[in-house]
Amino acid sequence: MPQKKVIETKKVSRVFKNGDIEVQALTDVDLIIEAGEFVAIMGASGSGKSTFLNILGCLDKPSSGNYFLDGVHVNNLNKNQLADIRNQKIGFIFQSYNLLSRTTALENVELPLVYDRTGRFSNSKELAKKALEQVGLENRIYHKTNELSGGQQQRVAIARALVNDPTLILSDEATGNLDSRASIDIADLFVRLNNEGKTILMITHEPEIAQFAKRMVYMRDGRILTDEIIKNRSTKESALKDLELTN
Amino acid sequence: MKQFLKIFKVAFKAINKNRTRSILTMLGIIIGVASVIMTISVGEGASKSVKDQISGLGTNLLMIRTKSEHRAGVNVRMGKPLDKRDYDILKKNSVWMPKLSPLVGVGGQIIGPDSYKTSTVYGVSEEYFDILSRPISLGDIFTAEDVKSANKVCVIGETIREELFSGRDPIGQQIRIDKVPFTVVGLLKEEGQGTMGQDQDDIVIGPYTTIQNRLYGNSDYSMIVASAINENAIDDAEFETTLLLREAHNLLPDQEDDFDITTQVEIQEISGNVMNMLTILLGAIGSISLIVGGIGIMNIMLVSVTERTREIGTRLAIGARESDILTQFLIEAIVLSLAGGFLGVILGVIGNQIVYKATAFFIPTVPYSILIGFGFAAVVGIAFGYFPARKAAKLNPIDALRYE
Repeated sequence: MPQKKVIETKKVSRVFKNGDIEVQALTDVDLIIEAGEFVAIMGASGSGKSTFLNILGCLDKPSSGNYFLDGVHVNNLNKNQLADIRNQKIGFIFQSYNLLSRTTALENVELPLVYDRTGRFSNSKELAKKALEQVGLENRIYHKTNELSGGQQQRVAIARALVNDPTLILSDEATGNLDSRASIDIADLFVRLNNEGKTILMITHEPEIAQFAKRMVYMRDGRILTDEIIKNRSTKESALKDLELTN
Repeated sequence: MKQFLKIFKVAFKAINKNRTRSILTMLGIIIGVASVIMTISVGEGASKSVKDQISGLGTNLLMIRTKSEHRAGVNVRMGKPLDKRDYDILKKNSVWMPKLSPLVGVGGQIIGPDSYKTSTVYGVSEEYFDILSRPISLGDIFTAEDVKSANKVCVIGETIREELFSGRDPIGQQIRIDKVPFTVVGLLKEEGQGTMGQDQDDIVIGPYTTIQNRLYGNSDYSMIVASAINENAIDDAEFETTLLLREAHNLLPDQEDDFDITTQVEIQEISGNVMNMLTILLGAIGSISLIVGGIGIMNIMLVSVTERTREIGTRLAIGARESDILTQFLIEAIVLSLAGGFLGVILGVIGNQIVYKATAFFIPTVPYSILIGFGFAAVVGIAFGYFPARKAAKLNPIDALRYE
């Protein structure tokens, strides 16, 4: 059964101009991600993976080439339309959580609904609670962000990315600030969400985290070097066992 | 509208989250608005009390004096002194001034049963009390007969009664002015401080005939005071007086008047202008502190935008439009300045009361000053909040997200 294409890029390039110097960050990237996929993008720093993620997340536009998100041709959208599409179709997860300080988990998760103009959500509090349950924080709903551990904070951020029921979840080094055990927990959470049908794309430079995904894209110098299905996917148990062996 | 309400809530939460900073930000506006209200009130209060006192003198008042010029620091009398002849001519011929009184002013030592005091002694006719609108609270004024016979009677002010009679009933009692005994027939109703701060109750008033004969030793008058039929007749009265006195003084057409006529309207106009200037000046000083307060808001908002760059980046990434961010920060600034304006109004009104209690100088809180203060606060909030809010809205989300 052919799946719906969530992401389709055709010869996407991105050039940064800094005075007279031109930096080619991305060159002719073609990528198709279908609904229900769980993709890890790896690559050294400077490989263009962050630039690519910004474009996929509609924070930036390609210098040339075409990008379709859930069938929408993103190249033609203006600033407000880009903001709206980010709000409706994308859930962002950042390395440093980017939560509002001194604010409850619930209010943080509600935040994307503040900017929803479609009116498709009636009860934002209930939705936010449900999202927090999904990430296993039903007991921390009214805790403020500074009262939570790093792993818990990242779960709040994931709940925030889930609350608007996006077509695509984009994770930018979600485990970068976490210890190994918390990282494995987050990766395991991604697997669970993916099993529930979420399409997830994550950038990481940790191979053991990438190993949780179904498919791995490796980038170098602004191009896709390899793109393959992961055969021996990690699970929480196997990853924890490996962790014990290395210690 | 629904979106605006949501953003309003967000802005309100942000203010509430940084309570200390919000209060400090408001402080500038609070002080600014309070000082606008208080300075305007002081100006208005001063000008009102001056106006009250001037019109309390009777708006129909004319004061006729010998011309004098200020030369080398002294007033030099330029013309013939006014005397009984001038008074009689005016009294006989005037159409527009039904009431006239000579005024002879001397200083004297007033000796009473309990104490003595140096005070001002006015010699006037019985019409003086009507012309100057000075009512009597005890006893009565002296009569035309007293003036004609140069009887040794007098009316005293409240201050004299306090000092010389320790507040007792002075009617029928004897006092001495220098060495001359007078019988007190009346007590003036208390008037309080005059425009220039002089005590208007520190005075003894007797018939001008008696004062001239017994104390002044001179037939000149210090001035002639008169009241016109009504306010509209003042110009006519002034013109009439000029004609009559020029003729009486045998002045040729090319000669200048050797007397001066001051009307109440002129005094009112001059002092009114001065007082308006004072109000405007004080208001301007208050406004400056309000502008300083506004700059304070801009300063804090700019710091806040920088400090919250990451937050702004996050909001943009999860779908806030530029207009959402602009609205949020603008609302924060406006709410802060309006709340500051509100507290400033309260502080200003309380401040007025404190000044009133402390100095007994009544300052009404002028409604328009509240409007000015509050309106100015709102304008300051929008004007100085817009720049930081725009800066926040124009942030590039990618850079903002990475901002350390």
